[in-house]
Amino acid sequence: MSRQARPTRRDVLFGRLGAAVRRVGPKQGDELKRAVIQGRHCLAYRELMCSTCYERCPEEGAIVMDRGIPSVVADRCTGCGDCQGVCPAPVNAVLMIRAQPVIQRSKP
Amino acid sequence: MELKRREFIQIAAMTAATGLAGSMADRARASGAPPLPDQPDIPGVNWEKAPCRFCGTGCHVQVGVKDDKVVAIAGDREADVNKGLLCVKGYHVGMILYGEDRLTKPMARREGQLVPIEWDEAIDIAARRIMESGSKFGFYISGQSTIPEGYAAQKLMKGGLSNNHIEANARLCMASAVTGFLSTYGVDEPASCYDDLDTCDTLILWGNNPAEMHPILFSRVMDRQARGDKVTLIDIGTRHTRTTERADHFLKMQGNGDLAIANCIAQQLIENDTYDHAFVEKHCNFRADRDPSKAFDSVIDHDTYVAHVKEAGASGLFGEAISFEQYKKLVSYYTPEKAEELSGVPADQLRMLADVFADKSKKIVSLWCMGMNQHTAGTAVNNLVHNVHLMSGHWGKPGDGPQSLTGQPAACGTVREVGTLAHALPGGRIVAKEAHRDHAEGFWNLPKGRVNPKPGYHTVKMFQMLSTPTDQGGDIDTVWVQVTNPGQTLPNTKKLFKAKAELKDKFLIVSEVYPTATTELADLVLPAAMWVEKNGIYGNSERRTQQWFKMVTPPGEARDDCWQTLAVARRLFELGHPGLKDKDGEYLFRINDEDGKEVPYWQWEHYYDVNVDKALFDDYRRFTFMKHKNVAPYDELVKHRGLRWPVVETEPGKFRETRWRFVEGDDPYVEKGAGIQFYHSTTKDHKAQLWFRPHQWPAEMPDDALPLNLVTGRVIEHWHSGTMTMRIPQLRRAMPGAYVEMNPDDARERGITNGDMVRVTTRRGELNLPAWINGRANPQRGHVFVPFFDESAQINDLTLGEIDPFSKQPDYKKCAAEVTRLDQPHPYSREVVQ
Ligand code: SF4
Ligand code: SF4
Ligand code: SF4
Repeated sequence: MSRQARPTRRDVLFGRLGAAVRRVGPKQGDELKRAVIQGRHCLAYRELMCSTCYERCPEEGAIVMDRGIPSVVADRCTGCGDCQGVCPAPVNAVLMIRAQPVIQRSKP
Repeated sequence: MELKRREFIQIAAMTAATGLAGSMADRARASGAPPLPDQPDIPGVNWEKAPCRFCGTGCHVQVGVKDDKVVAIAGDREADVNKGLLCVKGYHVGMILYGEDRLTKPMARREGQLVPIEWDEAIDIAARRIMESGSKFGFYISGQSTIPEGYAAQKLMKGGLSNNHIEANARLCMASAVTGFLSTYGVDEPASCYDDLDTCDTLILWGNNPAEMHPILFSRVMDRQARGDKVTLIDIGTRHTRTTERADHFLKMQGNGDLAIANCIAQQLIENDTYDHAFVEKHCNFRADRDPSKAFDSVIDHDTYVAHVKEAGASGLFGEAISFEQYKKLVSYYTPEKAEELSGVPADQLRMLADVFADKSKKIVSLWCMGMNQHTAGTAVNNLVHNVHLMSGHWGKPGDGPQSLTGQPAACGTVREVGTLAHALPGGRIVAKEAHRDHAEGFWNLPKGRVNPKPGYHTVKMFQMLSTPTDQGGDIDTVWVQVTNPGQTLPNTKKLFKAKAELKDKFLIVSEVYPTATTELADLVLPAAMWVEKNGIYGNSERRTQQWFKMVTPPGEARDDCWQTLAVARRLFELGHPGLKDKDGEYLFRINDEDGKEVPYWQWEHYYDVNVDKALFDDYRRFTFMKHKNVAPYDELVKHRGLRWPVVETEPGKFRETRWRFVEGDDPYVEKGAGIQFYHSTTKDHKAQLWFRPHQWPAEMPDDALPLNLVTGRVIEHWHSGTMTMRIPQLRRAMPGAYVEMNPDDARERGITNGDMVRVTTRRGELNLPAWINGRANPQRGHVFVPFFDESAQINDLTLGEIDPFSKQPDYKKCAAEVTRLDQPHPYSREVVQ
C-alpha cells in the first residue's frame, strides 16, 4: 500500500496534535527531493537535545539517531519535507536537495 | 554569512543571528575551527544584554533592536552560564513579544463580556476592590516576576495593607526545596553552583530530566563527554527520557522510591562504615520528625504522616534532636533488599549507588528539580539527598555537592529572596518572628505592629478559598494574578480555579500579555509589558542576580506589571487607605529625584523619569545582609552578566561574588580555619542537620479501577502553559499539542496503538488525547506522562491537589489514572506497536 493512501502512525499522531505542520513537501510536478541535515545549523550537533525531525518523519527509518545526532538515510527518504517543516533550529537545518545527482558544470 | 544576516533582518526572524555560534559542544566541527564573531554586526541594530525570559538556568542573550523592535537574538558569549549557546526556546525568545493576540487595552467584565476601558478606570476599579476586600484580598505573583515587581507587591501587601495573602507560583515549583534547605542548613538556597558541572566525575539526576528542562546545563556536561572527559551519569526516575539515553546507569524507580533509595544509601554507608566520620563529627547533627522513643514508622502512608506533622505544630519542620545511634537504628531498616521492595530499584543497583558515595576519590554532583519538589514528601526527600552528600563528605568542594535547580528564572530571586510567600518577609525573614517584623517595619519606616504576624494562605488554600462560595467559608473574594497562569497550572484546576466562574461575588484581576485560561475568568484584565519591554532583574538557581534594561516600547497600552502595582498603591493612598503612609505620614512608595523632589512615577508618562527598578532594588538590598544573601548594588549588576550572592565589597567600589557558600576561602562569612561552616545552623553550632525521614507512600496510589500513575511535566520546546512558546511558530510546529506517553506493554494490554485517541481518567476528571508510544520518552510500566503546556488539553484538570505538609507544594507527579481507547479509533491507526 502506498503511503499516499495510508498515513503512517506518525501522520496519525501528529495530525491529531494540532495539524500545525507547515507542509513544505513536493507539489505535483516538483522534482523528487531528499532531505539532508546540515550539521552546522542542527541543534542536536551542539548537544542541544533536539530530535524533532526524527520524531516527526513519517517514513520509518528515513531518519536515524546515533548518540543524539540525526541523519537521513537517503534510500528511505521520500522527500516529503516534513522534517524541514518542523525543524525548530534558528536557521533551518534541513536542506531539500535533488534526488538525482546533478553533474555540476564548471563555471566559465 | 553576510547574505544570511540580511535575510534575517528582512524576514525579521528573531533568531540567532550568528546561527549556532556556541562555544560548547560542537561535534560537527573538527578542532581548530576559526573563532566565531563575538556579536553579529548588522547595520542599524543595537545589541544589549538580557537574561533569557524562560527557565531557571538563567542563560544570557544578546538582544538586537532596530526601530523599536527586537529583530535578532544571539547567545551571549560573555555569559558564564551559557557561553554563547542557547536552547531551542532561547533562540526564539524575541518572538514572544510579537504574537498576534497581544493584550493591548485594559478590559473589564460587563454583563459577562470583557469590554475595553481606560487605564484610569482600571486602576480605580482595582484599588477600590482591594480596599473593600481588606483581608479577603490575595495577590498571586510569580517566579517569573522581576525582583522589583515582587518587592513592590510584597511591600504593598505586608507593609501597606497588613495582609499576608501574597503568594507566588513558585509555591508549586520549589517550596519543598526551600523547606529542605531550611531544615538542613537553617537558610535557604543552594550552596554550590553550576561550575560544579564542569568538574564533577559523577552526575546523579534525581527525578530530573535536564536534557529537556535545563538543556544548557546538560549540554555543559555533554560537551565535556564529547571532549573525552569521563563523567558518569546516573539517572534515577520513573521514565526513560532523553537524559536517560545519555546516562550510564538508569535506576528505574516507583513513585516516592527516592525516599527509600536515599535512606538505603545512608544505611549502606553506615553498615559498610564508609561514611565520612570526620565530616559528620565536625559538621552534622542528627534529627528526626519526632522523639524516637515514641512508636516510629519506617514506612508510613501520607495521611498518617500529615497527622504526625500536625501534632508537632509549627516547630514540626525542625523536628527533634536524635543521637547517631538512634539514627543508625532508624535507617537500618532500609537494607538494599528492603529498599528494592519499596522503590522498585534492584538491590544491586542500590549497592552500586552507595559505593559511588563511599568513594571519596570521585566528585559527585546531585541535581534535582520538580521530580523531588512536586512530591507530597518533598521536604523529606530534599533532606535525604542533602543527607547522603553530608554523610559521605561529598560536600563543599568544587564539583562535589548537591545542587537543587529551579524551574523559573526568578523563583530564587523574586520568590525565595524577596520572600513573596504568605509566611515570609524579604531576606529570609518570616512574619511569625517579632524581630523580623521589627526589621521590616524599621526599613519601611512603619509604625510598630503594621506587619501582621499571622501567615497568610498558601497558594492552594488561597485558590481553594477563592473558588469556595463565601457562605461556605470561602474567605478570599479578590485575587490579583500577575505573570502566571493559574487557570492552567494549579493542580485540580476544576476545583481550585474554574469553580470561581459560578461565584458572582468573587473578583479576579489578571495582568497578562496574552489571553489565557486565567484571563478567561478574569473580571479585570490589565495588559502587561513583558521581558525587554520593561526594566527587570531576575535571580537564577545558582544565586545569580541578573539585570536588564527596557529596550523596546510595549504594544498598545500595555504597561509594566510593577507600574500597575504601584499605580494601584498610589490610588489606595489617594483613597485614604491608612496603610499607604509610613509612620511620618509620608507616602510608602515615595521616590525622589536627584534634587529630593518626589517623582510622580505613578503617572505612566512619568514612570521612566526615574529608574523605579533601581530605587526598589536598592531599597530591597538592605534586607539581604542579615542572612548573608547580599545582593550586589544595582549599578554593579548593570555591568555584569549576573553576580552570585553573597556579593561583598572587598575594597571601595570593588565587588566579589561567591561560588561556594559555607566554604572557607570562597564564602567571606566563614571564619578562618573553620573549613566548612554552616553559619545559619538551626542548632546554632555551625552544623547541618542529618535527617531521618521515613519512607512514605504517595498520597494517591494506583488501584484496580485506576491502575496507572499519571506524571505531568514540560517538554523542551515549551515553557510552562505555552502562553509564550505556543505563539512562536517554530516551537509550535515542533511540538504542536499534548499527548499521553505510554509504556508499549501497557498500551498493548489496552489495545492502544500509536496515534489512537484515548481517554485519560482520574478521580478528578477525564481528558482525550492521542497516545504516543516509543516516542521521545518512555514511561516505565504502570506510568503515563502528559505534558501540561497545551491550553486545548489541560491535564491539570485531572491532577491531584494533595500537598507536602511542610512546604504546601502539590504533587504533580503522582496520581492514580486509567487510559482507555476511545470507542471509535482512527481508521488508520491499526499498526502494531513495535
Ligand atoms: S523528507 Fe520526509 S521522509 Fe525524508 S527525512 Fe524528511 S520527513 Fe523523513
Ligand atoms: S529538527 Fe532540525 S535541529 Fe532538530 S535534530 Fe532535526 S535537523 Fe537538527
Ligand atoms: S536553557 Fe533556559 S535560560 Fe537557557 S536558553 Fe534555554 S530556556 Fe533560556
